[in-house]
Amino acid sequence: MNAPASVWAPLLPAAMVGTDRHAAALPSWPGAVGRLLEQATQAAPDAPDAATAVLRASAVLAACAQAGAQGAQWTGPLPTPCADDTLPEPQHAALNALMAWAWQDGPPRLQHELCVVMARAGHRLPTALLPVALDQGRRAIALRPWLLPVLGTRGLWLAALRDEWHYAAGVVAEDSDEARWTDGTAEQRQAFLARERVQDPAAARERLVQALPELGAKERAELLGTLAVQLSEADAPWLDTLRADRSREVRQVALGLLLRLPGAAHPTRAAQRLAALVRQERALLLKRWVVQAPEAPGEDWKADNLDAARPQQESLGERAWWLYQMVRQVPLGWWAHHTGMTPAELLRWAASTDWTEALLRGWRDVLFAAPHATAHATPHTDWCRALLNDWPAKGLRDESSAVLALLPAAEREQHWLRQLTNGKAPLAPLLGQVLSAWPLHECLSEEFSQAVVHALQHRLRQSAAGVLRDDYLLRSLLPDLCCALHPRAMAALATLPRSDDETPSVATTLHTATQAIATRRALHAHFPT
Amino acid sequence: MLTIESILAMAPDAASAKAARGLVAPAQWPLLGANAQAVWGACQGSGAKPYQTQVDLNGPAFRCSCPSRKFPCKHGLALLLMRAQHGPLFTAQEAPAWVSEWLASRSDKAQKKEETRAEKAATPVDPQATAKREALRWQRITAASAELQRWLADQLARGLGSLNPEVLKTWHTMAARLVDAQAPGLGQRVKEAALGIHAGEDWPERSLHRLGLLQLACEALARREHLGADVQADLRTLVGWPHDKAEVQDSGEKCTDQWTVLGLITDDRDDKLTERRVWLQGAASGRRAWLLDHAFAGKGFEQAWTPGAVVQGTMAYFAGAAGLRALALDTQVLNQAPQWPTAALGDEWQQLARRSARSPWVGLHPLVLCHAVVLHTGQSTRAVAAQQSLALDLGDADTWRLLAATGGQPVNLMGEWDGQQLRVLTAWTAPNTAPVWQRSAA
Repeated sequence: MNAPASVWAPLLPAAMVGTDRHAAALPSWPGAVGRLLEQATQAAPDAPDAATAVLRASAVLAACAQAGAQGAQWTGPLPTPCADDTLPEPQHAALNALMAWAWQDGPPRLQHELCVVMARAGHRLPTALLPVALDQGRRAIALRPWLLPVLGTRGLWLAALRDEWHYAAGVVAEDSDEARWTDGTAEQRQAFLARERVQDPAAARERLVQALPELGAKERAELLGTLAVQLSEADAPWLDTLRADRSREVRQVALGLLLRLPGAAHPTRAAQRLAALVRQERALLLKRWVVQAPEAPGEDWKADNLDAARPQQESLGERAWWLYQMVRQVPLGWWAHHTGMTPAELLRWAASTDWTEALLRGWRDVLFAAPHATAHATPHTDWCRALLNDWPAKGLRDESSAVLALLPAAEREQHWLRQLTNGKAPLAPLLGQVLSAWPLHECLSEEFSQAVVHALQHRLRQSAAGVLRDDYLLRSLLPDLCCALHPRAMAALATLPRSDDETPSVATTLHTATQAIATRRALHAHFPT
Repeated sequence: MLTIESILAMAPDAASAKAARGLVAPAQWPLLGANAQAVWGACQGSGAKPYQTQVDLNGPAFRCSCPSRKFPCKHGLALLLMRAQHGPLFTAQEAPAWVSEWLASRSDKAQKKEETRAEKAATPVDPQATAKREALRWQRITAASAELQRWLADQLARGLGSLNPEVLKTWHTMAARLVDAQAPGLGQRVKEAALGIHAGEDWPERSLHRLGLLQLACEALARREHLGADVQADLRTLVGWPHDKAEVQDSGEKCTDQWTVLGLITDDRDDKLTERRVWLQGAASGRRAWLLDHAFAGKGFEQAWTPGAVVQGTMAYFAGAAGLRALALDTQVLNQAPQWPTAALGDEWQQLARRSARSPWVGLHPLVLCHAVVLHTGQSTRAVAAQQSLALDLGDADTWRLLAATGGQPVNLMGEWDGQQLRVLTAWTAPNTAPVWQRSAA
């Protein structure tokens, strides 16, 4: 270390101003260094000029400072080191090297799988990979719930040191549950509340009632969402008060939850309001259902979260806008009950009315209001199926894959399998749909995976190099697909056909795909299910 | 056996390491073989013919038929990675011709080199002519250094406070004149001093430090002939007049030992020059040695070193009072656990003080910090050991990997002390164990 600034200080005036204008004699320094300095700067016979004296003094100080180097004195306490980890690290060199690649450059789906498998096997991530894994978690919020359990004590300790990683640093793994609620991150609090909700729904609700007023809008909305677990009529009165919350997000969550409680006051009023508009008409011998949009806003609308003013960018007309809002406040079950029509019939009927878009969009909103359907709530599979079988030509802006994602896994796969085997749907767009709908932390069933591999091999057999070069979509999906396939079905893709003249982009994609499969094979070999 | 980290540390840059990882796929390697001397493989690249990649394990030294100018290329690195990860796939044992011929030519070359050297030594050089040439060069250097000293005094007479960009241009002119006078080492120091003006809050102190050492150099050069041989050798290094390696090999002080690789670092100097510094410590002698190599234009280094490896060999030390820089001769990697030094910090400083006093122009010192806690506070990372705290010079990614590896527990660190900061190169936790962390390639 350079000598402390104070050692140099006496030299600075002369050095900065210049010895031409600063004529004062050099000061003296204490001790042995001082004596040496004196000798160097003043000793006869060659007593130097003033500038050289400053330089000689600097020479002595620099050399002595270098030789006398020490660290700065440290008297402060040292922070407590990280506690021992209860989870072991994987010790397989080959697997760890592949994991290093996967965390740095691998597809997100592979990173999810690494977390899931490590957690299942009771391991944590290797120490050297903690920083890069924490960085991935910083960028990908969806990864966090899977990443947190495999960070181990060391990972949580590390995360606490860096602002960017605070999402993971709420509390230490061993801390009591209560600490997770009081000091935890948003994710940890949510997980805590959901668990309590399973054990004691009323207590969890009471905890939330107490906590809610102090929280920001975003956190209020997120925590409120956990009420979907074990939702019951007992929650209705409090939810009803939240319809008047100052945050729009919170109001929406409350309304979404109320939709699952058809007996509650608000959905009941909404259904009555709509019943007046959806009526049966007799025309000659036929009975048919007609729908009318409201003519004018009612006085009680505002209290019931109906907005009379149409937003500027809204594509619906004013009356359609009113109708749409009413539709989205009524549970889907009401329609079958009220009209006796099935979802498929209702969709066809809606297309024949003047209010198609208002109806479809209203239904869509109800369908998506609580997508994570619990055992308690009806998942509306009949509505999803009806929509998927006959996707409305107009009125909906969603991709059908979004609706498909609401169906249980097995049913989704059946839907795709039909499309795959009837050969009507082109392979790449279908796979794109599958991958965008499939949760990142799960792999496809073995049966469906085999079918996909089979179809892919068939497609590649025609001209592997050409297909991979020209079918941009298929190629870009390949790495993700290799991570989604069932472990027992992916072996067939372990060696993808390579060619001499592949472009850098093809080469990179194929590398990623092969590498992903190699990683997964090593992973499942070391941690069999 | 090389670890994955140590293999990746040989990569000339991060892109090569990444590319090499991408090639670690059995399908890419139609042929893989190994024996005690070498590993080899055929790597399916973008061409019709697979590349022939081979590594001489005594080194390791790399060779590949690919056109890449990087050295070692991604194929060579990937081959070693494959060896580390998929050892059983290396089924071939009989080296094909392209491997055995290369190995033979390598030992031939080494032998030839030895012969030429012997020949050269045998050829009578005209000692008088050499002495005359050298005397002439010293004359030029001494004259330039006297001019430098007058110039330094001029700067101080005018005052550092008055330096502006216009005046600083003359500093670069001075540096260029020193290069012309065959003293590029002094020129470099003047250039660095110019860059240090107005840089950082304490620039006046730091500038005086730099100028002070230059003054010391000038005065020493003026009375060079009255100084000891060691200091004279240091002055030669200082002015940038390289010592003849063959001479070091022949007449340098020798030390044969089992050397543990304490750490290594590669630095990109200019656009095309890469510098590598390797620090070693002898098990029996307790001596440290410093190997300095340069590589141009992405061409790598002939020999790779791995932190924690133990190498049997002889160090031929360059002349000089510091006694650090050496050439490694007849090295052979041993399959042994590292023998890490266990010096107390006080002794480390003492050693450094003696070395620095003997040879004040040495800019980098090896420093071992036992039982140190790595701390991250706000913007800075420090190591605390024996009630002293040292600022660490580390990149972001390396800092977090080091913190992850230590977990706030005491570790042993080795690094380069530059007078201000410790540039950490290696960390280990227990005697005779592989490092838990090493600095990544730049």
